[in-house]
Amino acid sequence: MDDERSIRLLCRVNLRASGMEVLEADDGHAGLELARREQPDLILLDVMMPGLDGWSVARELAADESTKDIPVIFITARADPADRRQGEQLGGVGYVVKPFDPVGIGQLVEDVLTRLARGERDQLRRGIATEHEQ
Amino acid sequence: MSVHEREDRALRLQRVAELLAEAVTPQEVLDAVLTEGVRAAEARAGAIGVLSDDGESIELLAQQGYTGPIMDEWHRFPLDAGLPMSQVVRTGEPIFISTVIERNELFPELSQRGQEGSALAVLPLAVEGRVFGAMALSFGDEVEFGLERREMKVALARQASQALARSRLYAQEHTLRQRMTFLAEASELLSSSLDYNLTLKQLTQLAVPGLADWCAIDMAGEHGEIVRLAVAHEDPEKVRWAYELQERYPPKPDDRFGVPQVLRSGEPEFLPEIPDEIIEEAIGDDEELRLIVDQLGLRSMICVPLSARGRTLGALTLIAAETHPTYTQADFELALELAGRAAVAVDNARLYGEAEKGANAAQALAHIADGVVLLDKEGVVRHWNPAAAAITGVDEARALGKPVDEVVSAWGALTSHVPLAKPGASGVRPVTVPLVLDGRELWVAVSGVDFGEGTVYALQDVTDERALEKTRSDFVATASHELRTPLAAVYGAVRTLRREDVELSDEYRMTFLEMIESEALRLSHIVDQILLAGQLDADAVELSLSECNPAEIAAGVIESASVHLPEGISLSLSADGASSIMCDENKLRQVLVNLLDNAIKYSPDGGKVGIRLEQTGGTCQIEVADEGLGIPHSEREKIFEKFYRLDPQQTKGVGGSGLGLYICRELVERMDGRLSVESEPGVGSRFTVALPARR
Repeated sequence: MDDERSIRLLCRVNLRASGMEVLEADDGHAGLELARREQPDLILLDVMMPGLDGWSVARELAADESTKDIPVIFITARADPADRRQGEQLGGVGYVVKPFDPVGIGQLVEDVLTRLARGERDQLRRGIATEHEQ
Repeated sequence: MSVHEREDRALRLQRVAELLAEAVTPQEVLDAVLTEGVRAAEARAGAIGVLSDDGESIELLAQQGYTGPIMDEWHRFPLDAGLPMSQVVRTGEPIFISTVIERNELFPELSQRGQEGSALAVLPLAVEGRVFGAMALSFGDEVEFGLERREMKVALARQASQALARSRLYAQEHTLRQRMTFLAEASELLSSSLDYNLTLKQLTQLAVPGLADWCAIDMAGEHGEIVRLAVAHEDPEKVRWAYELQERYPPKPDDRFGVPQVLRSGEPEFLPEIPDEIIEEAIGDDEELRLIVDQLGLRSMICVPLSARGRTLGALTLIAAETHPTYTQADFELALELAGRAAVAVDNARLYGEAEKGANAAQALAHIADGVVLLDKEGVVRHWNPAAAAITGVDEARALGKPVDEVVSAWGALTSHVPLAKPGASGVRPVTVPLVLDGRELWVAVSGVDFGEGTVYALQDVTDERALEKTRSDFVATASHELRTPLAAVYGAVRTLRREDVELSDEYRMTFLEMIESEALRLSHIVDQILLAGQLDADAVELSLSECNPAEIAAGVIESASVHLPEGISLSLSADGASSIMCDENKLRQVLVNLLDNAIKYSPDGGKVGIRLEQTGGTCQIEVADEGLGIPHSEREKIFEKFYRLDPQQTKGVGGSGLGLYICRELVERMDGRLSVESEPGVGSRFTVALPARR
């Protein structure tokens, strides 16, 4: 979910290269609708978007019974520690700061899903606030 | 005795009387008595002694005809001594001694004195029945003092008494008048200036030679040292010498006599005759010093403290040496009076200096922009300057004398994180702390110095600076956000293109290359905009105003835009009646390019986009209108804020720094114009640049 066409394209190409199916939304409202309808395994979520921003999307996903368990990785230009804490509080399991290496994005998603399967959701969340920028 | 002899004696007495009538000063009287008087009495030698001030001894004033060092030997002897003069002064009765045997019987002390002056007449000097001295007349061998002889001597003594008493009274009056004059001059001098260093120097000069051979003033230094302020002597050469001497033999603060003792005790020292042991103690084994002291010939000394309000400020020293007579009680009293006046003058000058310093400091504190708060050890407010009152909202009257926590309840919070420096410490950094006072939110920079007797705090209201700083850091943060997205696209595209494990289609390759190109341009554009916005913030944008034709500029902008015009957009220009304006041509072009770009960008479904120029009164209006998305009411002013974007989704390709409209408005306002917007969502927007037309 990102309003920037180029970022969506980079994620799409590289995630598909890792054998994943990718759905896209260019704003928050469309993204929420897509998530409810398609029930993805994981959401890559931009923060600064027009209309409904990423924080609000995360809040609504968590509030909705049908989407509350879908893991969220934030992909954002906001690099402040306060933003990371915000991401942690909103239940994110990853925090990627732009610019990032899209080649590794597929591996990142796989790792997160593996760890989630091992029940490490809380560790992943706590990692957001302490993680260094890549 | 023959008639002739009697006449002769009467004539001689007459002659003495005439001389005495002419004599004014005691010295002149003494001279007349001891020359003509002695001759008239047919004596071989004569001497005159007077009772000392304290009435306990007799001082020999003058002699005539005696051989040997009589003046040194007898210059002062006790009243109760077994000597003829002592006895005469004690009893008031004359003594007539005819032979040496008689003399030695009556005055055994004189038996060793040989035959000289063995016949002796000692006569009391008295006025109004009060004996004040004696006159001794010595004759050759034995003399028979018959009645007439005796009467003649008594008559002579009477004449001498009156003349001497009169002259001494005159001298006393003269001295008194001199002293009064001196004191008056000294007072005038002391009150003439607040520069007491100068007046005290002049005072010492005033004192010589009338009051002393040497006059010195020493001040008590801050650390117990003795500071010589001035030395005066009639001879400037000797003054230089005295300073050299002082340097070579500086007084020690623990010396038992003189200035150190007076400064220490605050008590005066009066030595009518400087005792040998004091001089010996001062000299010690130093032979060179002994020579110097001998040369000085110090005889009599008065050293009095300059005291005011219980403090000894310094000492005034008067010394009688080569010319001045030894000091009397009257001299001592004069010195005390003089020192008292000098001390008051010094004290006043110092008080004035301190008061002036205090007044200057208060004035400085009253006008300084920083709040200054002085607390005593108990935390009670002792100073609260107007700036402190302005920052805290508590005026001076409500603060002074009260515990500071009562004055400002948040004081503890304000100062608890402020480390207290020691006086004179360098690099005292103020600590900036937030403060809520009566609902006002302030940022205050506080520094404090503990000076032992209390604490002084400096307060600075940095609320505005803080806000500016926050704006700046927000700007930097936002600017970095703006850069991160295109950077992510460029970096991501390159990383993806270089993937070897994935075969990208030619179409994808082309897309990524185009992405790199456009995002790099976008980056460059954002950097330019940030730079320009920064310059506008710092007021560092220079405009070069000249007369321009806005219609030509608008036409150029339209022409450039028509090159890559998206489908469905039609451009138009209407420039009827527009005359020339004063503006920066490049800046105006930049503004119009930006507005036209926005108009095209926000017309995703196409429509008419146009520039229209119109002159109304003194204003040239340049409108850029579209039929695009429009701007919601609530957003109409926000779009001119830095980094505010109405709908970033629409900002494809070049642009989208979030700074465009901010820069446009700033540039237009710098050209004395206005940039405004009218808009209806779904209908379109019209931006209007209004610039003063050239008349």
